[in-house]
Amino acid sequence: MKPSAFATKNAEIKRSNKKSPAAPPQRIAAGQANAARHQRTQSAQRAAEAIISMSLSSPGQQLRETYTAESAKIQQHFDATGDGRAVTEQRAALVDRIAIELFRHHFAQESNQAAKIALVALGGYGRRELFPYSDIDLLFLAADTATEVNLKSATRDFCQALWDMRMRVSPSARALPECAKFKSENPEFNISLLDCRYLAGDENLFNELHQQILPALVSRNRASLRENLAELTRQRHAKYGETVFHLEPNLKNSPGGLRDFHTACWLERISELTGEKQFPAHPGRTSPKLNPEAEQAFDFIAAARCLVHFRQGRDDNALTYELQSVAAELGLGVQLDKSMPPADWMRRYFRHARVIFTLATQLLDAAVPEKSSLADRVGEWKARFSNSPFAISSGRLVVREPATITKDPEQLLSLFEVMARDGLKLSRETEQEVESAAAALATAGPQIPNLWPHLQQILIAPYAADALRSMHAQGVLVRLFPEFAAIDSLVIRDFYHHYTVDAHSFITIENLKDLRSKTTEWERKFADILSELEQPQLLFLALLFHDVGKGMPHDDHIEGSLHAVDEVFPRLGLNPTETESVRYLIANHLEMSANLLRRDIFDPQTIRNFAEKVGTPERLKMLCLFTYADIRAVNPEALTPWKAESLWQLYVSTENYLNRNVDEERVHANQDGREWVERIIPLVSTDANRHELREFLEGLPRRYLLAHSPQEVARHFEMSRRLESSAVELHLESQGHIYELTVLTADRPQLFAGISGTIAAWGMNIWKAEAFANASGIIVDTFHFTDPFRTLELNPSEMDRFKTSITDVLCGTVSLESLMRGRKNLRGPAIAKVPVSTQIRFDDFCSSHSTLMEIATQDHPGLLYQITSVLAQYGCNLEVALIDTEGQRAIDVFYLTLDGAKLGANHQRKLRDLLLAQL
Amino acid sequence: MTKIEAVIQPSRFESVKEALIEIGIQGMTVFEVRGHGRQKGHTETYRGREYEVDLLPKIKIEIILADKLVDLTVQTILKAAKTGKIGDGKIFLSKVDEAIRIRNEERGDQAL
Repeated sequence: MKPSAFATKNAEIKRSNKKSPAAPPQRIAAGQANAARHQRTQSAQRAAEAIISMSLSSPGQQLRETYTAESAKIQQHFDATGDGRAVTEQRAALVDRIAIELFRHHFAQESNQAAKIALVALGGYGRRELFPYSDIDLLFLAADTATEVNLKSATRDFCQALWDMRMRVSPSARALPECAKFKSENPEFNISLLDCRYLAGDENLFNELHQQILPALVSRNRASLRENLAELTRQRHAKYGETVFHLEPNLKNSPGGLRDFHTACWLERISELTGEKQFPAHPGRTSPKLNPEAEQAFDFIAAARCLVHFRQGRDDNALTYELQSVAAELGLGVQLDKSMPPADWMRRYFRHARVIFTLATQLLDAAVPEKSSLADRVGEWKARFSNSPFAISSGRLVVREPATITKDPEQLLSLFEVMARDGLKLSRETEQEVESAAAALATAGPQIPNLWPHLQQILIAPYAADALRSMHAQGVLVRLFPEFAAIDSLVIRDFYHHYTVDAHSFITIENLKDLRSKTTEWERKFADILSELEQPQLLFLALLFHDVGKGMPHDDHIEGSLHAVDEVFPRLGLNPTETESVRYLIANHLEMSANLLRRDIFDPQTIRNFAEKVGTPERLKMLCLFTYADIRAVNPEALTPWKAESLWQLYVSTENYLNRNVDEERVHANQDGREWVERIIPLVSTDANRHELREFLEGLPRRYLLAHSPQEVARHFEMSRRLESSAVELHLESQGHIYELTVLTADRPQLFAGISGTIAAWGMNIWKAEAFANASGIIVDTFHFTDPFRTLELNPSEMDRFKTSITDVLCGTVSLESLMRGRKNLRGPAIAKVPVSTQIRFDDFCSSHSTLMEIATQDHPGLLYQITSVLAQYGCNLEVALIDTEGQRAIDVFYLTLDGAKLGANHQRKLRDLLLAQL
Repeated sequence: MTKIEAVIQPSRFESVKEALIEIGIQGMTVFEVRGHGRQKGHTETYRGREYEVDLLPKIKIEIILADKLVDLTVQTILKAAKTGKIGDGKIFLSKVDEAIRIRNEERGDQAL
């Protein structure tokens, strides 16, 4: 190289330092930053001096040697300090010197053209954020198209020289007028220009781009640029399952990774360029508006990415288990050379990633609200929120008077109810207000009034998982349930789980909510089961806490989870039946998948054993859905169609077993009945003795004991004792919009028909019923019905008249026919929404002494009365009845005897004809 | 070299896998499959609806190994997969011409 060129290069470097690109970007944590900045500047200068001092006659070979030697020094510096940000700045400085030197060498030959071209750093390199094996984005900015064409050969040689040094260069060449055009087909290029930085060549040319063209371009296309960014981010987040909590995250592209940090920086830059029409006075990557937490998060993740690059020797950003262990052993990003368990180190990673993810999504949502859903729902929201303490602002949920959520924890919970109901997100300010309110909760203690009613509303709402995630992110969930803190960002290191334990728990809930919109055949089957659940909130509560034990010092995580929920129940005020259901689900949540994978699900003995453990169809439904949601939340591919079908097969076989063996499986007080007697006797009045209780339980189907809580059985027993003085004992209570009627009386002809007919005559709609009898001939019938005309709700005095009416019919003092005459239209609507054809099936093998009859038909008011009247008129005795409704389809199972024996084929045929004629 | 394809009951898979690891079989490919042999399907009813269960779930294991290991491997699978009931599955053997490890292009038994 000529001496003059050498002198110019020296000037170039000095100018470059003076104009600031070589100076490290502004950092928020100023005290700590000054020392680091000094150290980095020195290191960058050393690299520059090394290049200056070399012979310039054959730049290729010597630059290569310098690059290798300086790169090794950068790695040594990283090994000694663990400072990832410094690595990226040092490498950017090193590449700057080499690129400038090569530019001089290759473009000096074209001396007249050199004045019309500038070398510009773009993207991460432009930001001075060059990770050890990252691509080097360069722009050859030409004054015009002719220059661009003329310099093609020099450009190629320049790039070849860098490639020879094993640098991965991504070059682009543009004439200045080209850069003024918005490239809708290449959004990445438009965005990469936001980080452009002058390296060498015609500085005036660069200034024109930087100070005039780019600010004008951004001002003109602000909305499109933001939309491009939003779209690229949405696609990337969707690819990574929209969650930060991957067990082996990609440090660059996962949600909460470095790309999200850059997205936040770009959004700030777009706003600045639009407002000021020029680049801010403090060039560099960091925008002063980003919060210190995000800067710390960047430092942590940048250090991790440097480690991954150095260890893998390539641009690989997957933070594998192995590398997590290495980082934790080093104490990287925490305290160097102070090792910590990998799970703890990953918790720190997730907390940092969550900060970045929240920042990026909030800025994106503020910049580009989701238009379609927003526009569609504005009217609906306006109406809904007109008298609410909450409001909608830019598509986000805000609190009108922030002080209210701090003062009143119920108001805070109501906010999350709205989120769960409407799928709205909180505004950035509201999130901060919620965090303050959560901090106040800690001092108020966990005794929140109406905690369970509020939590129930959240759990059953369509967007429950999103609301729970937000409650967790803002610290509300662990304030309400300190037990949940055990699994906060907890990593389980195996090759199956993709998510942390807390994220997995939220995904289980989301998987069931997503069933609403699922379309495959087997997904629809599980969706049907979900729609049939009586208390879905209990299933969701169990899902929320099922793996809490994984973060507790118990050998068996189920034991830990049960211990945790036992602490939670008293705060929620759940009744004993609800408590038992949730405990059952958590205790047995692995049972169904164990049967699925380790037992022959076509073997009747497997089904029998499993059915005995489950006990009731309601529990089976909840366990089946639990298993579905739990497997599917392990990783996106875990629930294969093969597994889903096997799960469905096990469910169907077990459900059939439960319904077809009710009559066989009965309580014998001297065998399994003893245990039940001991559980129930403390709950009954003091003058009752064990003998009486044994007598009551003798011969009842075991299904009866499993379907009712000990408290309910105790109540039925008390009612049976009163039958000595009254012919019929009734208990009626409302459970939300459902009423439950329990009838105890001595068995008699037309009993079931009489009760179901009276209920229908009052205009009620039966959707579920059971009829059981004990060995002494006491029947225990339970009916669940709705009150479509709200007769009982609006006229509480009618409750007594309703009960009297049933007693009168059963005692024969009022005829059912006279009651029925008052009711018209018991055949229901003429046109069914979903036509259901009638199927009648008999089975003589399920029971040793009765015949099973299963009817599936179109549901309508008075249906049960119609069926049971036919059975009674034919002279059948009803041993057991199980009545169920699935949408507009009634599925009724009866165990019948005729003159104390099974029904023969002849009777079955006649009965089928009579029923078909009636239905 | 021989390819062993064993179609077995899903419930026996864990036992078969453990037995194979015990005799030193290092690699296998596992598929979730559905099918039927002589054990035809059956009709189930659920809530008044009838449906055919004609294809039953099975696990298929594929192992390619040196010929000298074939007998021991087959015996191991037979022992671990057998329940004595219809539907226990089948084992198929076929010759393999060549195996190549992609990483270093080793060939033959070395590549297994």
